[in-house]
Amino acid sequence: AEKSFNVLGQPLATGLIQKNKEQPFFENFAENTGLAIDANYKPIDVTGIKSEETLRVLKNGLFDIVSIRTAQAARDEVFLLGQDLVGLNPTYEKARQVYDAYKPHFAARLQEKFDAKLLGLWPFGPQVLFCKPEISGLADLKGKKVRVYDQNLSQFIESIGATPVPIGFSEVQQALSRGVTECAITGASSANTAGWPEVTEYFMPIGFQVGFNGYAINMKTWNKLSPEEQEKMQAAFDKLVDDIWVYSEELFEDALRCNVGKEPCTTVTKYNMKEVPVNEEDLKIVADAVKTVSFPTWSETCEKNYPGCTELWKKVLGPLTGIE
Amino acid sequence: MEINKKIAFYASCLFGYLCIGLSIFVSVEVVMRKVFTKSLQGADELGGYVLAIGSTLAFCIALIGNNHIRIDIFHYKFPDKMQAVLNWLAKLSMLFISFLLAFAAVGVLQETMSYGSSAPTPWATPLHYPQIPWTTGLIIFFGLSCYYLINATWLLITRRWNDLRVLYQPKGSADEVKEELLDLEHR
Amino acid sequence: MLAEILIFFVAGLALLFLGVPISPVMAIIGLIGGLLAFGYPFMNSIGSVVWGVHNSFILTAVPLFILMGEILLRSGVADKMYNALAKWMNWLPGNLLHTNIGCCALFAATTGSSVACAATVGTVALPTLNERGFSKKLSLGSLAAGGTMGILIPPSIALIIYGSLTNNSISQLFVAGVIPGIVLTLAFFVYLMIASISIKNTGIIKVSWPERIRALPEMLPPLFIFFIVMGSIYFGLATPTESAALGIIASLFFAWRGGKLTFAMLHKCFVNTAQLTGMIILIITAAFILNLTLSLLGIAEMLTQQVLTLDLTLTQLTLVMILFYIVLGMFLDVLSIQVATIPIAYPIMTAAGADPIWFGIFIVLMSEVAMITPPMGMNLFVIQGVRQDKGPLSDVIWGALPFALIMLAFTVFLIFYPEVVTWLPAKMRG
Ligand code: NA
Ligand code: NA
Repeated sequence: AEKSFNVLGQPLATGLIQKNKEQPFFENFAENTGLAIDANYKPIDVTGIKSEETLRVLKNGLFDIVSIRTAQAARDEVFLLGQDLVGLNPTYEKARQVYDAYKPHFAARLQEKFDAKLLGLWPFGPQVLFCKPEISGLADLKGKKVRVYDQNLSQFIESIGATPVPIGFSEVQQALSRGVTECAITGASSANTAGWPEVTEYFMPIGFQVGFNGYAINMKTWNKLSPEEQEKMQAAFDKLVDDIWVYSEELFEDALRCNVGKEPCTTVTKYNMKEVPVNEEDLKIVADAVKTVSFPTWSETCEKNYPGCTELWKKVLGPLTGIE
Repeated sequence: MEINKKIAFYASCLFGYLCIGLSIFVSVEVVMRKVFTKSLQGADELGGYVLAIGSTLAFCIALIGNNHIRIDIFHYKFPDKMQAVLNWLAKLSMLFISFLLAFAAVGVLQETMSYGSSAPTPWATPLHYPQIPWTTGLIIFFGLSCYYLINATWLLITRRWNDLRVLYQPKGSADEVKEELLDLEHR
Repeated sequence: MLAEILIFFVAGLALLFLGVPISPVMAIIGLIGGLLAFGYPFMNSIGSVVWGVHNSFILTAVPLFILMGEILLRSGVADKMYNALAKWMNWLPGNLLHTNIGCCALFAATTGSSVACAATVGTVALPTLNERGFSKKLSLGSLAAGGTMGILIPPSIALIIYGSLTNNSISQLFVAGVIPGIVLTLAFFVYLMIASISIKNTGIIKVSWPERIRALPEMLPPLFIFFIVMGSIYFGLATPTESAALGIIASLFFAWRGGKLTFAMLHKCFVNTAQLTGMIILIITAAFILNLTLSLLGIAEMLTQQVLTLDLTLTQLTLVMILFYIVLGMFLDVLSIQVATIPIAYPIMTAAGADPIWFGIFIVLMSEVAMITPPMGMNLFVIQGVRQDKGPLSDVIWGALPFALIMLAFTVFLIFYPEVVTWLPAKMRG
């Protein structure tokens, strides 16, 4: 091909989505987009760049396309986190509605601040609960130590009377095994791959967040493309992103079955955890968290750099959440 | 003590007490987590900032102490004049890397200020709090490198080869051993 | 492309051997390569990498472990430990020589700096060894080799550097270093016994049991520190950085109890820690800048492809690596070897099927060999500098050679029995 784009991908450690969808897409970039452009694709952990920095290296022009992890990239713009507040996306269906509603504003902010065009976002998967001691619902978390990964989740965990313990993903399995933490939250599939079911007994498939990831292209690179090329490129990414939405849900449901020893189980290891059924009461606790915990905290930080973002959020997502 | 040695000494003490302070904080966190199932949250974040700021101090201290390692197996086999010129080159190279780091840090800080970035952690620290001292430290490192290069250049153009050769020679293992032995006597 | 890489490689080596400091050389090569390939945006993106390296809780373990070792060293723990250990090892053929290795191994377990360790033990041991008429080569060799154990037996700065460059768990690496460290120490013991049986053992001194018991407390501090650090890591109570913090508090306690906790002592520790930290972190920073260029240009991938087409088995490839590291280790110091080769060698070896943790231990063993091979062997110089009798350096070199051979044999052994490395970390995981 005549051109080549530098592409910064998800970390290799992300697992199956990176391996089976993202990397193949960029390795056959010319074919998939129908354009005479190759991709010089590098998973981010190979380069030594941290996920927090992705939007900066995109804006600086070192990369033409980056795979954003919004939880980390939100360091430079908290607004990006607004579509993934704790409790906002309990299911894939709801996440899709939120995504569709939030997308134009997400894209606009990305363009305004980082001179980048959003190509599409996909959910990494519902972040669910694993516990070693017996639990029958969220109420049982009171007084227990729960591994969390960010501020928003940490405050939610505190609000239900548990102790949040921030531990890096790679250390969690061992921390659970030795009782440093009693419960932990992460994606169902990645937890399975990291061996969490070996050291925990109870599995509660209640989604706290979904972890939006996705693609953005440097505006200068984008503007160099002709309108037809832009159309082809956008179409290719729409297809990739939609594809991952479906795949992500498949992985999630497969992992749900695998963790508790049900069939079919094809993508990860089969374990025999006990499933804690999610009842209405718990769903309500998580859904209420948007209003009581996660939205107030988020909007406070967000307003500092983006005055008016609270009102915008209410206008866009209010109808879906009942917050006005 | 020479003035720069004195600066290095005080900077080292600041660095050391930062490390001790961090150790106390982290130890309290570990014990609380295990015994009282409470977490102070942020020990890791604080540790990162201590290293960022401490490193810039440490770069300067190592520069003053002539500790940035050079491979010296051939150095002393070269003619005296060449050794002198190579010492000057070593100072030039330190200027280069310190400039690169200071330049990079200023860029990072500018971006942080313009984005209003804050750490994605429980503390949500505004990122310019740790980055201002970090950038300042790297600028000082750059200034210090300038000072040494100017000194070395002055020796070079006034053709004081011997001074240039002896004053800025690589710190070999012999010096290190000598220091260790000296310290051992005082124990 | 290969030609350009070769030019850069040779130019870099030339600069290094001319004595240009290591960190700027790596940064210059990284910057020029990056600018040539990607233009100005590369320059603007370096900051993101540099902040990521400096603002790293994992690398915070580097100054903390150095400081911990410094406090133990300067409060006289090592000297006392040597004397205590000597009382317990007096019955073995070649008694004091075992003490050298044993003391280095115990001390290695508490400090990251092997120079300080070799210098301390060397200074305490050599006069006694001379007095009692031990073989000069054997004494000097055992000291030089014992000093290298510091980077294998955790805590180990070398393993922290490997882990941060390759995204591997430092906890796993530390735990992986324990059994190889013990086995290698035992192998040294066996060699010393065999080598001293033929020599008329003039060194025997009589030590009574009460005397031995009284000496015991002197051995406790280093053991205690080792168990605090490794125990908290193994049982998942603390990350390596947190365990270093615990280690500092414990070493401060021992220094205070021994009556050595003074501001003068602390400040001396601070100066050394800061100097060493500045040197190490600057090199790591430069290594990350170079690594950004290498990874964006896909150089490691390209070399990996080249190597894979050779169709070597993992064993053959590892043997080639051993040769490569022996040669490199003759001329470069340990830190340069690590930062310069890991980004390239790691993808090659893991693609060929090597276990990432195993390869970390492999690199450390090769670094240990490099420390005692001429012409550039840091520990050879240190021991030579410590001795009082003004003998030739060749005494130390020949004395250390059998130990280097044992390390190499042990490395080859690990190719066939990788479980020696991987068993304990696997056990820790679950
Ligand atoms: Na060690
Ligand atoms: Na060597």
